Amino acid sequence: MKKKKQFSYAKYGYIFCLPFTIAFLIFSLYPTVYTAVIGFTDLHGLTMTNFHFLTDDPFKNFRDILNNATFLTSLKNTCRIWVSNFIPQILLALLLTAWYSDPRTKLKGQGFFKVMFYMPNIITAASIAILFKALFDYPMSPANDIIQTLGLSSGPVNLLINKTIARGVVAFIQFWMWYGYTTIILISGVLGISTEIFEAAAVDGANRVQTFFLITLPNLKTILLFTLVTSLIGGLNMFDIPKLFLLGGPDNSTLTTSVFIYNQAFSGGYLYNRAAAASMIMFVIISVCAAILFYLLRDRDEAKLQKEIRKQKKLMKGGARYAEK
Amino acid sequence: MLKNKDSRGRKILIYAVSILLTLLSIMPFWIMIMNATRSTTEIQQHAISLIPSGYLMKNLAILLGKSFNPAVGFMNSLVISTGATLCAVYFSTLTAYGLVVYEWRLKKIYFSFIMAIMMIPAQVTMIGFYQMCYRLHVTNNILMLILPAIASPAMVFFMRQYMYPSLSLEIVQSARIDGAGEFRIFNTIALPIMKPALATQAIFCFVSNWNNLFTPLVLLTDKKKYTMPIMVSLLRGDIYKTEYGSVYLGLTLTVLPLIIVYLLLSKYIIAGVALGSVKG
Amino acid sequence: MVQKYIDANPDFGYSVSSTIIATTDGAYQPALDQALAAGGDDAPDMYCAESAFVLKYTQGDAAEYAAPYADLGIDVAKETKDAAIAQYTMDIGTRPSDKQLVGLGYQATGGAFIYRRSIAKDVFGTDDPEKIAAEVGPGWDKFFDAASKLKAKGYGIVSGDGDIWHAVENSSDQGWLVDGKLHIDPKREAFLDYSKKLKDNGYSNDTKDWDDAWFADMKGEGQQPIFGFFGPAWLINYTLAPNCGGEKAGEGTYGDWAVCTSPIGFFWGGTWVLANKDSAKKEAVGKLIDWITLNCTKDGLQYAWANGTMNENGTKDCVASGTVMGMSDGSIDFLGGQNMFDVFVPANQYAKGTNLTQYDESINTIWRDQVREYSAGNKTKEQTLADFKQNVSDNLGIEAE
Repeated sequence: MKKKKQFSYAKYGYIFCLPFTIAFLIFSLYPTVYTAVIGFTDLHGLTMTNFHFLTDDPFKNFRDILNNATFLTSLKNTCRIWVSNFIPQILLALLLTAWYSDPRTKLKGQGFFKVMFYMPNIITAASIAILFKALFDYPMSPANDIIQTLGLSSGPVNLLINKTIARGVVAFIQFWMWYGYTTIILISGVLGISTEIFEAAAVDGANRVQTFFLITLPNLKTILLFTLVTSLIGGLNMFDIPKLFLLGGPDNSTLTTSVFIYNQAFSGGYLYNRAAAASMIMFVIISVCAAILFYLLRDRDEAKLQKEIRKQKKLMKGGARYAEK
Repeated sequence: MLKNKDSRGRKILIYAVSILLTLLSIMPFWIMIMNATRSTTEIQQHAISLIPSGYLMKNLAILLGKSFNPAVGFMNSLVISTGATLCAVYFSTLTAYGLVVYEWRLKKIYFSFIMAIMMIPAQVTMIGFYQMCYRLHVTNNILMLILPAIASPAMVFFMRQYMYPSLSLEIVQSARIDGAGEFRIFNTIALPIMKPALATQAIFCFVSNWNNLFTPLVLLTDKKKYTMPIMVSLLRGDIYKTEYGSVYLGLTLTVLPLIIVYLLLSKYIIAGVALGSVKG
Repeated sequence: MVQKYIDANPDFGYSVSSTIIATTDGAYQPALDQALAAGGDDAPDMYCAESAFVLKYTQGDAAEYAAPYADLGIDVAKETKDAAIAQYTMDIGTRPSDKQLVGLGYQATGGAFIYRRSIAKDVFGTDDPEKIAAEVGPGWDKFFDAASKLKAKGYGIVSGDGDIWHAVENSSDQGWLVDGKLHIDPKREAFLDYSKKLKDNGYSNDTKDWDDAWFADMKGEGQQPIFGFFGPAWLINYTLAPNCGGEKAGEGTYGDWAVCTSPIGFFWGGTWVLANKDSAKKEAVGKLIDWITLNCTKDGLQYAWANGTMNENGTKDCVASGTVMGMSDGSIDFLGGQNMFDVFVPANQYAKGTNLTQYDESINTIWRDQVREYSAGNKTKEQTLADFKQNVSDNLGIEAE
């Protein structure tokens, strides 16, 4: 049997990924390994000299963190805030994408609106935190002025000391900062879908809703996966706004895990070992969640194809052995 | 027959929502610009105002007086942000191309590895990064703020996701048959197809680098190398004497270039880029 | 100020490059820490630490980086005596490991009670500092008596609980840490009650210091007009004056203020100057530091500052050297012509420099947050204290006694 010689382009795969690898090794490897290793030591304090590996109880830091009431609170808060931020965000983004990428809807000023939606993402979190704090402040603020003018209360109301309101505002700020980003990502994904598919669907008589759910969404799966995973990572690592808005208060109700880690490392105790252990724990949590997302949104066709290929290979191997006999 | 009923009710709804969102999105910019024209004490009393005041020139004077050299800060920010963006976008696409087009043994593991890096919270790797820079005496080096961007896992992820459905192997094959080298194929065929993705990611990368305060703050001690966010933060130095008016003016000036860059690149997002390079 | 020194001493011979990093967003300390830890050429020869975190650099984890003033060619014992430096600032600047002085502040930030003359006349019949001091103090009991008198006529005594916190904090017998364990000094625990009393009885406008509403009270534009603020001289120059709504007598509350002895002595704020022990230019640094912190002649920085020739807008501040203060005149229009040094100089004596820890900034943030919950009525006292201990333990690894 003649065997066709396949020229393997595989080596180009390695070459193309080389710059990334080199840059990573130089700039990120040391810090990453450093963090991973510290989680197993008792390193703390400013001067970072003499630390010992916890050989008798290597997982002590991890256990301490998991038993740490504040950490658990921060985990709960992070999840709550992320969910209340993300669900409206993705829904709105999908809605806007549906409206704006529909070639049949003639909307004037589309370009203008798209530009506007992304604007909040451009300002630094620090400025936004100050602005929103001033909006809802106690006892004097625009929000309070409105409440009193509407007669809802006779005196100033401390809105931000209410935990639900505080969390709600943080979730809203996150939503507001990122909905434009998500929308733009999704729209650019839609732009990548060949227009011929849309035309074919139109010819077949599909209406808007059908087009969106049966054509746009499935083709957006890869981009959607990206959005979900990055939003998950961003959400679980939420730092800027909770820290700068209310410093994690009131009473730890807007404390997220990232702020907790930062406090462990930099708020005077310099407990680097615990901070590292907490980061590792977060890393595991995020990876598990991301893995679930990957599984749910995997390209089923490709998976089926892979299965077929594997089956064929097995058959061929079996067949060859049989033939050899 | 095409079902093409564009009901007016639906259109009105879309417009209404869009206008509402626009106002919501513009609000902080408006407040920021208004505050740039007010004096510090006015701001300390009522942080929000919808109408301007007359202190713009005064704030500008304070701004320039406090060794806030906008030209220098602007140039530095521009160099760093542009450099980092170019590195990140080009090399991420390169890496993604390597992951999509070629079959190689370690591919799956490598990709999982990149994803894993993405999931590490950024704050803690920072300590190690600073330590490293100080020990190697490469502080004050702008390159340290640009080169690490070559390894941007999230961007690789996005490019890969985008490339899968939009870049078909047939094009690559046909180009190879035509005798083109691999790199040439990447540069002349793959990149143009990725234009919306490139533009989108370029904007985000540019914005986040431009606004990044912490990393340059700790790494750069030479005044001539300060970026704009650092200069603005200098205005907030003393909690006792914060010149809020100038701070807002500084913030406005910082944001202005971003808006311009965004408007320039956004046509790639607005216009429908007709794909369809594979005919038939 | 370094520029002024160079102008005055042209033979100094060094050019000074200064790095300014804002203290906002907590960016200053990590940057300074990294620079000190790495050493070498990039490490600063001279650095400053604010009172919020100075302990870390003079007595705590970073103390080993500092050079004793004695090593810089400064005769510590003689100069501090000549300049009559306040005891509290020396206490803070002394490193316990070798009892050497490593840092001194150039400001004196002993605190007093700053009150509105017009309100004083309305409620107490006089605005004379000595008489008012007797009305509001000494001690918190008299303070609250005065508060109820003010309330009867529709005034609040202070803007918010933050105003009395610094006095409470600094007057406690012990700091937050005793033998490495969290200790809640009874005087500080009493703050819970004071805070609640202020809010429940409407003695204050329940503001948070440094918030918009707090500034508004300086103009008298809050919910009810406020009688006074607690603070050192810098509060007058840099906070009250710009926010009083005017620039000369008759505008806003300008000129309507006076200073009297505080019911409880305290200090608030200040900046300490330290030198790096690995500095190669110790002599030069020594000269600079000496000029800033100890020089009590008419050429020194302290004299210039006390007499308003240091800054462009002519603000006069209290400086660390008692000698200089004695030579200077602190009367300013803002206080209706009163010489504020008469009150502030003795105030320095009452300030304590021995009950601070390097964790104060973090612990205070947690404490104030919990106290707010209690005074707002959201928690019982037991719960508040329990949560406070829990938070400190979780965040700083410090267990309660």
